[in-house]
Amino acid sequence: MVMKLYGTILATCFQRVLVVAKYLDLEVEVVVVDYENGEHKSPEHLKKQPFGQVPYLEDDGFVLFESRAIARYLSAKYAGGKLIPKGVRENAIFEQAACIEQADFDPYVSVLAHERVYGPLMYSSVPDEKLASAQQAKLEAKLDAYETILAKYRYLGGDDLTLADLFHLPYGAVAASPYQPGSPFMNLEDPKRPNVARWWKDITSLPAWKAVRSEFEGVVSTFKKS
Amino acid sequence: MAIKIYGSAMATCTQRVLVTAKQLGVPVEVVGVDFAAKEHKSAEYLKKHPFGQIPYLDDDGFILFESRAIARYLSAAHGDGKLVPKGVKENALFEQAISIENNDFDPHASKLVAERIFGPLFRGTVPDETVASQKQTELEAKLDAYEVILGKYKYLGGNELTLADLFHLPYGTKATLQLKPGAPALNLEDPKRPNVARWWEEISSLPAWKEVQAEEQVAVAAIKKA
Repeated sequence: MVMKLYGTILATCFQRVLVVAKYLDLEVEVVVVDYENGEHKSPEHLKKQPFGQVPYLEDDGFVLFESRAIARYLSAKYAGGKLIPKGVRENAIFEQAACIEQADFDPYVSVLAHERVYGPLMYSSVPDEKLASAQQAKLEAKLDAYETILAKYRYLGGDDLTLADLFHLPYGAVAASPYQPGSPFMNLEDPKRPNVARWWKDITSLPAWKAVRSEFEGVVSTFKKS
Repeated sequence: MAIKIYGSAMATCTQRVLVTAKQLGVPVEVVGVDFAAKEHKSAEYLKKHPFGQIPYLDDDGFILFESRAIARYLSAAHGDGKLVPKGVKENALFEQAISIENNDFDPHASKLVAERIFGPLFRGTVPDETVASQKQTELEAKLDAYEVILGKYKYLGGNELTLADLFHLPYGTKATLQLKPGAPALNLEDPKRPNVARWWEEISSLPAWKEVQAEEQVAVAAIKKA
């Protein structure tokens, strides 16, 4: 029975699972959750995901939520642990990178993404640029540390690509693209941080990511038209 | 050579590492970092921890930062993998719990603690109760979901104690603290959430956690004398 992933391609956390599934060459069936009409807060949904969020995975009766946990499960169950280093020290550096993504990247890019893109797109709001630039300044300080790490290693968690790198893609890509030509955005290919730029170009060029991103952009364009 | 943890017995993220080390029975030596003198931002320190934070681990020359990554490493390298389930489904539920702590507990609890405890203690500020009660309301909504999960399992990640439970202790405990009698505080043993209360009562009573709290008191007393 094919695994079911409940959510919507518009959601960054959903994309986080999808890019990993595609990279690992795993088939998942998408079951769309009607976010706009609050389906994620319905009693049926809450029985599976008590926090009322997306995505969640259903694998032959086994229900799992939290995108990063789902990604790890897909690797362990169906891909022989690919994208997660096995050696004790290598695994530790990977886990350090996974923590960095959550503590030093996600809190800032998510605000940028919501303020500059999702807000205008879904709620017709006007970005609070004072707030956004303050968050961007904090993120840039963090990226200075990324620059140091990425001078030592090819990827954030060592010399091999890991889940930690992929986890950055969804929010990173939204924050790194101007909503409209000329809109402010976080330039992750800024030449003043050549190692970050190299890393970001590398991971955004992955075919698995390109596939997810083009699907997302397709849906976004229908939103923008309507 | 003893495993060194650079940080402070009074700091929540250092405590996250210490409670894990004690629960695993792994001896570690705490090396104090002079926070007041901004030692953690010195060029020397940044070589070890590019984000300029505490704690970091030095295990015979192997450097690692991010408290949750350090905790996982202590388990894998020195703790026989204890507190991290091995079965694929059990491990997935554990990773789900790890993510829940990181995304649904920590952001709200840490802001709550910053407002009510760290602000007054370290910056002499008066808590903004509008901000604090907002954070508490958000956290309590998340705890309603914890109540559901803890109705199914003994612990957040399944029926065995895992790292995910321990990770809640530092900020969770501070969030329940009252600096003055009658001051507003989170009640994690609130009888309206009996499963959360049961879980919290159990993990906060662990000898390993009691020891960490005792060491914190020693450190605090030393500062008061100086």
